[in-house]
Amino acid sequence: MPELDSAGPPCPHPSRPSISRRSPRPLPGCTAAGSPGGESAAAAASPLLDTRTSCPGAPGAAGRCRCRAARARAPSRRGRRAPRCAAESGESAAAMASGCPAPFGEPGEAREGFLCPLCRLDLQAFQQLRQHYEEEHSREERDVRGQLRNLVQKAKRAKKKLLRQEGDDRTDSGSQERYESFSYGGIDPYMWEPQEVGAMRSHLSDFKKHRAARIDHYVVEVNKLIIRLEKLTSFDRANTESAKIRAIEKSVVPWVSDQDVPFCPDCGNKFSIRNRRHHCRLCGSIMCKKCTELVSLPLASKLTSASKEALGSHTSPNSSPNSVHGSRRGSISSISSVSSVLDEKDDDRIRCCRHCKDTLLKREQQIDEKEYTPEIVKLYEKLRLCMEKVDQKAPEYIRMAESLNAGETTYSLEHANDLRVEIQKVYEFIDALSKKILSLGLHEDPQPHPKTLQLQRMIRYSATLFVQEKLLGLMSLPTKDQYEDLKRRRLQLMALEAHGKQEEKQQDLILRSAAAVNGDATQLKKGTVRKCEGWLPTSSASREREIADPLLQQIDNITSFIKQAKAANRIDEVRMLQENLRQLQDEYDQQQTLKAIELSKKQAEEEERQREELQVLREKEWEREHHRFLSQHSRTRSLDFREVGQQQHEVTQNRNLTAHVLDLDITQIKRDPSFETPAVEQLPAEEPLVFALRPQGVPQGDKDREQPACLNPFEDEADTPQSEEDSTNPFAKDTSPVVSFSNTALQSDKKEYNPFENEEEDEQTNGEPGSTTNPFEEDENPSQKPGGSWNSGNPFEEGSSTNPFEVEDGSEISGEEAIEEELLLQQIDNIKAYIFDAKHSGRMDEVEVLTENLKELKRTLAKQKEKSNC
Amino acid sequence: MNAVLAVKQYVSKMIEDSGPGMKVLLMDRETTGAVSMVYTQSEILQREVYLFERLDSAHREPMKHLKAICFLRPTKENVEFLIQELRRPKYSTYFIYFSNVISKSDVKALAEADEQEVVAEVQEFYGDYIAVNPHLFSLNLLGCCQGRHWDPAQLARTTQGLTALLLSLKKCPMIRYQLSSEPARRLAECVKQVITKEYELFDFRRTEVPPLLLILDRSDDAITPLLNQWTYQAMVHELLGINNNRIDLSRVPGISKDLREVVLSAENDEFYANNMYLNFAEIGSNIKNLMEDFQRRKPKEQQKLESIADMKAFVENYPQFRKMSGTVSKHVTVVGELSRLVAERNLLEVSEVEQELACQNDHSSALQNVRRLLQNPRVTELDAARLVMLYALHYERHSSNSLPGLLSELRNRGVADRYRKLVSAVVEYGGKRVRGSDLFSPKDAVAITKQFLKGLKGVENVYTQHQPLLHETLDQLIKGKLRDSQFPYLGPNTLRDRPQDIIVFIIGGATYEEALTVYNLNRSTAGVRIVLGGTTIHNTRRKPVTFEPREPRGGAGSCAEGRPSHAPPHLG
Repeated sequence: MPELDSAGPPCPHPSRPSISRRSPRPLPGCTAAGSPGGESAAAAASPLLDTRTSCPGAPGAAGRCRCRAARARAPSRRGRRAPRCAAESGESAAAMASGCPAPFGEPGEAREGFLCPLCRLDLQAFQQLRQHYEEEHSREERDVRGQLRNLVQKAKRAKKKLLRQEGDDRTDSGSQERYESFSYGGIDPYMWEPQEVGAMRSHLSDFKKHRAARIDHYVVEVNKLIIRLEKLTSFDRANTESAKIRAIEKSVVPWVSDQDVPFCPDCGNKFSIRNRRHHCRLCGSIMCKKCTELVSLPLASKLTSASKEALGSHTSPNSSPNSVHGSRRGSISSISSVSSVLDEKDDDRIRCCRHCKDTLLKREQQIDEKEYTPEIVKLYEKLRLCMEKVDQKAPEYIRMAESLNAGETTYSLEHANDLRVEIQKVYEFIDALSKKILSLGLHEDPQPHPKTLQLQRMIRYSATLFVQEKLLGLMSLPTKDQYEDLKRRRLQLMALEAHGKQEEKQQDLILRSAAAVNGDATQLKKGTVRKCEGWLPTSSASREREIADPLLQQIDNITSFIKQAKAANRIDEVRMLQENLRQLQDEYDQQQTLKAIELSKKQAEEEERQREELQVLREKEWEREHHRFLSQHSRTRSLDFREVGQQQHEVTQNRNLTAHVLDLDITQIKRDPSFETPAVEQLPAEEPLVFALRPQGVPQGDKDREQPACLNPFEDEADTPQSEEDSTNPFAKDTSPVVSFSNTALQSDKKEYNPFENEEEDEQTNGEPGSTTNPFEEDENPSQKPGGSWNSGNPFEEGSSTNPFEVEDGSEISGEEAIEEELLLQQIDNIKAYIFDAKHSGRMDEVEVLTENLKELKRTLAKQKEKSNC
Repeated sequence: MNAVLAVKQYVSKMIEDSGPGMKVLLMDRETTGAVSMVYTQSEILQREVYLFERLDSAHREPMKHLKAICFLRPTKENVEFLIQELRRPKYSTYFIYFSNVISKSDVKALAEADEQEVVAEVQEFYGDYIAVNPHLFSLNLLGCCQGRHWDPAQLARTTQGLTALLLSLKKCPMIRYQLSSEPARRLAECVKQVITKEYELFDFRRTEVPPLLLILDRSDDAITPLLNQWTYQAMVHELLGINNNRIDLSRVPGISKDLREVVLSAENDEFYANNMYLNFAEIGSNIKNLMEDFQRRKPKEQQKLESIADMKAFVENYPQFRKMSGTVSKHVTVVGELSRLVAERNLLEVSEVEQELACQNDHSSALQNVRRLLQNPRVTELDAARLVMLYALHYERHSSNSLPGLLSELRNRGVADRYRKLVSAVVEYGGKRVRGSDLFSPKDAVAITKQFLKGLKGVENVYTQHQPLLHETLDQLIKGKLRDSQFPYLGPNTLRDRPQDIIVFIIGGATYEEALTVYNLNRSTAGVRIVLGGTTIHNTRRKPVTFEPREPRGGAGSCAEGRPSHAPPHLG
């Protein structure tokens, strides 16, 4: 087997699942995996696998935590021969899974943390767990190998689907492996245990003590000035004679006598007839004319009134700005005193020294700041609120989605859908807000300070980062029908689990001779995780399970990917993505016109016929299978037999159901007046393809407790001799025959109905032939990309689901066109912003593409409006 | 004992303490370096720190809606700047953190300037060093000694840096120092003094075996920094220069705009983290794998990006793809440039001779090889001078020493005067007279046998024969065999048990080769944790070039401290 080559240490360390939970950020995937309460059997069965499925999504951090796990493994491997606890944990996990065939597992069963796998003691840290293990359990003797194998096998079964993509993964993991370095003795400095924060010392109390003394002084000073200022402005200066003014001024503060000050204390110039002395009206000191400052009356009144308000005292009528202003005009003409010729009359301003003015200005600044909250702060506060909301809701949603996608019934689908829409709204809001912050003040005449702009850019950037990271982590929900399907499958799985366990024991015996396989399996598993590192949470994990995406998710994904692509300067990819975005929009338009048309009878009949044909075919297969199965597993024969029968039954049911789902979906998409008849006939043509896929894809992927080979007659022919030995991992080989089979089936079917397919509209040809052939390759062919398997089994729905608005349609039933419009508008906004970005960074080609897109969107919007007007 | 984590935790704590809201981080030149080593921009952005300012920059705008986190060294200038800042605050609230002990009078001065009551916190967070790797720190100080004596300012700074490290790691160590070095003793005393003075600060939970601080002097091993290195991190530093994790590639011919300066940080770059200690050949093959991986992925995406399905599959892998492509282009560029330089300068051959000079005792063949390389026009001036320096150091007292001949050959070759001066400077700095331990000839029977066996077996890699002296020193220290006569304890107490937590500090700078040694010791010795530090991290290439316009240095860049007394002091 090819996987054997990359065999590695068969040592899934006990700390692995727990370590990943230690990852710095609460990764949605990881938390979900560890979430207590009604987990799916598959999820509960093996924490090991859980982390694996959820971790691929974790960006960066997951990569790191995985690395740590890999490194952490080394010491333990050195310490004991093999971590028996690993085997044990597999064992207990399996027991847990088999112990809950009912849809509701014991919620208390799933614990997390650093549990000792033997005594279930919760140790607080990895170090402690290790220590505990070495102290407590090191002497216990076990058949380590057997248990290990047992575990590995379970692991494989539970996640066969992943293993099937190993073709591609393996190469990746293999090469990744090569640049990975492992430690061998002491501890890698990067792995040193966490330490507490270093020493620190606070000087705050000291600081406050000194400051308090100083502040008292300062406050007294300021208040003194303000009180004097008030006195100086409390009379009608304009209509008072200057001599009287002077008298009042002198009464407010005693003036320093002229003789005492021969030089200006500020500039040091000698006073003379030409260089006259001036007195500060606020403190009475003397300075020369150059050094005087003037306080205007409005400023004075502002200062005094503010402090009065602050003190809660009454405002004196005279000091109100209006009265001052009103009287000022007349003052200029009324003043004709001789003194004003020599000593410039400043009845509308108050002369003071530099120091007093400084103090007053500071005071003014404080007053201003108290009242003024800049726009950016308001927006930013809103932005943070939204982010907090996301942080609150997203984990909840992910838990729901995870559970729903696993076919559990803990949460209601509608509720989850609502939550999803809500969260997505918040994202839109975040995006809009941050964009607004970015453009603040850009159009004002004196451009804001570069630092302000930088701040705005940074906020926008971090919001983008936030959205990118979190939004991509939102897994999608199954549609109603899929959900039913999932629920059923889960039930099956549980039933099979019990049976599968027995079988495993038997297989174990065979397996003991092939230890290498086990190592291989762990290796592979690790590989998968590794490969997916850097990719955001859940998207890959969920894709594996889900069959179709809500359209909104699609469009969201694409738009954010466009953003990323742009950030990475990948112009051609951006263009490609934009192109597809437009296609989606078109498709959406079309779909709007085609909604809610009944499925024709003819279709139904045709389809029925096809189904029967297929049924016959399948039954033949089953029979063949049985023969082989019986001969191979004589000991558990009777049990297996029953199981298989039951399963087959269920599969058929599934099939029927999905058929309906499909039909509905397809007709919805294809209901274009001009294509009505061709579409009708064409449908059945593709139906069998889906079926052919389903019985193989589903049992292999999900019903993995089932004896794997029994579903696949082809493996028998291809490599019966080896299957005895390697039956743990038959998929590497048996898949290719399947592919060829299904492909031929597909081709023959296609030929029959080819003419119609040609008549399809171009976006359908785009979407469909690709997707009809794809699922086979991607589901069955191990060499395909793992990411490819998103459309496992239902290409049609997927094709259409890229339309962003279907979610709205589904949940809010076409009446809510306002929201769709809003979304469109949002979209247009987005694109405008992209254009701005692109222009900003001088990527003109991008601008072109984007502008084109914008037009397209606007057209769509116009149509939409028309429609809503009708 | 993780230096990077220690600083990072400090910074995180500062950000946490300042609460929610937009923040600006106000730093000085040195703390900017310290912070940038442990936090990436996007990481810190997510914690609402949106602006990064230098306290001394004049172009800051008042932004009253921002909180300011000030992380500053407690220098006179900083305190003065801060007083000015507080008199006319530009931000709403100030959270002030000093990276070292600040005097009470400075605190008072600050308090009196804070008339508007904008300061919400005044603390000492001891992140007063550059954390390069978890086990490696630097103070980025050049020229800290004049001849055999400390520059007083540099001694103070070094003491501060070293005590800050101890405080941030919460270690109150026993101190050993290299007896043959006066600066080592001085530094040890200064550190001890600080510990005694700030005994309240150093009052940590006692561990069973107290940690150990070992202070060494570069002059004892002047060879190591003169050798060309072949591990990734060391090579990059040697040939391109790493400055606070940043690498300046602008001199690389035909470099694209966004690769002018790249960041190599083991914290964020997995490839780098996994490869920084591998040698060049391994890196080559790893880069090849990385590229193959990338290419295998790339055309596939591009071929098929036609249908929605393809696109979706692509988009699914996109961030991964993007991340990878960033990593690939960065490392391919760096490694490509490295190999270009290696080829251009004939470094393989040079390195072989260097290693021979450093590790073997065959005078005639060494001399012959040096002569041969001096004739080679592709060998750079610096490399040529370096070979002669190594020769001079090794065969200083050899009976048939032909150093004058080599020097005249250097002159004939047109090697600049300042390079030639380096040769004698190096000998003065790290010659036999100065060295406390013997670098070249084996000391005891065991070592002699070892070397003999090594000669028999042949060496597996001629380019990496050299083991820095530090390895042996640490090895003995861990085994409890390090002689008290050579490395005495400061104070009456001695360590009975084998040490567990070791901090080694090299006056005159550490090298990445030594960092690798320490890394390997950490990984291979259970129960021992070693942190290495130096006044700087050396490379041979950059410093002489950097200081070109100035007075010739009294040593190769690596031996910058060994300035002969006639050269006037100047600081880097």
